[in-house]
Amino acid sequence: MTTEGPRFSEGTLAEYRALLTRYPQRRAALMPTLWLAQREFGWLSLPVMEYVATLMELPLAWVTSVASFYTMYWKEPKGRWHIQLCRNLPCALRGAGAIQVAVERRLGIGDGERTADGRFSLEEVECLASCGTAPVLQVNNTEYHENLTVARALELIERLASP
Amino acid sequence: MCLVDIEKSPKLQIACNTRVADGMVVHTTSEKTKAAQRAVLEFLLVNHPIDCPVCDQAGECKLQEYYMDYDRQRSRIPLPEKVHKKKAKPIGPLVILDQERCILCSRCVRFVDEVTHTSELAFYQRGDHVELDLAPGKVLDNPYSGNVVDICPVGTLTNRDFRFRARVWYLERTPSVCGACANGCNIEIYHREGRIFRFQPRKNSDVNQYWMCDAGRMSYRDLQGEGRLLNPFVRRGSEFVRATWESALGQVAGRLGDLARTHGPGAVGIIVSAQAANEEVFLLRRLAARLEARLAGIAWSPPDADHDDFLIKGDKNPNTRGLALQGLTSDAGEILTAAARGDLRALVLHRVDVTRWCDEIAARAALERVPCLVVLDGQQRETVEYADAVLPIASYAESEGTFTNHAGRVQRFQAAVVPPGEARPGWQVLGGLLALLTGEAAPPSAEMAFQALARESAAFRGLSYATLGETGAPAPLVS
Repeated sequence: MTTEGPRFSEGTLAEYRALLTRYPQRRAALMPTLWLAQREFGWLSLPVMEYVATLMELPLAWVTSVASFYTMYWKEPKGRWHIQLCRNLPCALRGAGAIQVAVERRLGIGDGERTADGRFSLEEVECLASCGTAPVLQVNNTEYHENLTVARALELIERLASP
Repeated sequence: MCLVDIEKSPKLQIACNTRVADGMVVHTTSEKTKAAQRAVLEFLLVNHPIDCPVCDQAGECKLQEYYMDYDRQRSRIPLPEKVHKKKAKPIGPLVILDQERCILCSRCVRFVDEVTHTSELAFYQRGDHVELDLAPGKVLDNPYSGNVVDICPVGTLTNRDFRFRARVWYLERTPSVCGACANGCNIEIYHREGRIFRFQPRKNSDVNQYWMCDAGRMSYRDLQGEGRLLNPFVRRGSEFVRATWESALGQVAGRLGDLARTHGPGAVGIIVSAQAANEEVFLLRRLAARLEARLAGIAWSPPDADHDDFLIKGDKNPNTRGLALQGLTSDAGEILTAAARGDLRALVLHRVDVTRWCDEIAARAALERVPCLVVLDGQQRETVEYADAVLPIASYAESEGTFTNHAGRVQRFQAAVVPPGEARPGWQVLGGLLALLTGEAAPPSAEMAFQALARESAAFRGLSYATLGETGAPAPLVS
């Protein structure tokens, strides 16, 4: 394995090794391993996918192919804060449209785009599975913001924008 | 496409995975079945560009055939609304990719995963955006890449060499055997008006399954390139003059006969390469017996010849085993040494490039010293410069015969195209020489020459062109 380029930290490597024990074939561990890689490196660049292919001893085509299938594997860099806005019916009925317009205007970017300073990126997503607290957005695959209004959404943006 | 209408079954069933049962009544042409087939085809064609007029697969395209057989309706999707993908993208030395035509059958993906284990190809994206592609920065350059073109049912993967050179329905096909190495992959030669357009593998479970290597596939070019010998030539004094076959054969037979008679056993040397067919080797053995000549075989391969544990053999000769089964020794070097010493009155070279395939200094010394040099070959070689007579002979694509592959399997090849110029099949030329020397009738065909071989040689006993068929049979001594 090359010494340059992306490499898992010791902790992530341990997680990877634990993953392997869960599947009869190594190929089956590809998806969770890509997920680890995305967490570790922020997004799945070609060097990252090459690293995963080498690590797992799988053909690069298998790795890049799987990564291309799923939108939740990010094939381009996202912002420091990646904001996912639900575009499904319950959120829409509770005002998600207005929230999206306000957020887009505040950040000056649209769906699938990233701000020039790399701080924010926006993405419309399907149901985030919290219709009871609609409208909902998610930041960085880790935190939910529920029962939103335009004001509360913009407040959140301001908080994330301050260094 | 295999949906069928089974009585008492509420829905159509897939024929490929439904077991036959007692009393089952299956309708394959009912209106229900036809409607389902039409629907499947319409689905397959939803995003297809329908560019058959400019598609190289046209004429051998499964999708085109199925469309004509089962669909024949206009697309409901106007062309501008179809999903467009990359077209005419070279993905390797031999293969070019058109993603729009792909029906996502994944045969090529399975081939590179399961046969070559190289896994260059995969599907990318999803839904109607799915496209066949390589991993970024990769190339489809494994030694068997051309096979993906053969198994692609549509015009997604086409051959860069063959593309746009001919419409397949104008081409004729002749079953043959690849001569590029000792494996003897079964092939079909596609040709038209004396020109060969491509080799494609022909199924033989005992030899090559459905495949052939890229080097073999492209070797058709060596058979019709520059440098073919076109006319018989004989040396008259210091001049090299074109001769008729009758005159050239007469002169060669007369000269060899005289020398053998005058100088006794061992005055004539014959060297044959493993490029020669079994029939030629057999006739050369008879010639050697008649002339009491020394006879040796040679199987030369380039020092860097590649090989693997699948189809590619390091021995780049199609008939090395055939030479051995006919008892030929490989002491060509001794014959050359004898010639260089002046112990040889005549030397016959049959499909042998001695200056390249043997020790060059010994070979040149032999060629310079020997009083009578007869060259039988298809290719212009350096030996021709020393020759007293040159007899141009046909390649294996231009004549009939058999090769014995590395495993001792005897396989037929057939004449696909006519030899260039006045060149003649090797068996015919050797038969003619023999007839002149012995007064016996020449074998009227390669088949009759093989029959004589099978009668005379234990290694080939019981075999005939009929028993060999199109896929060959093991030589009795081998099996």
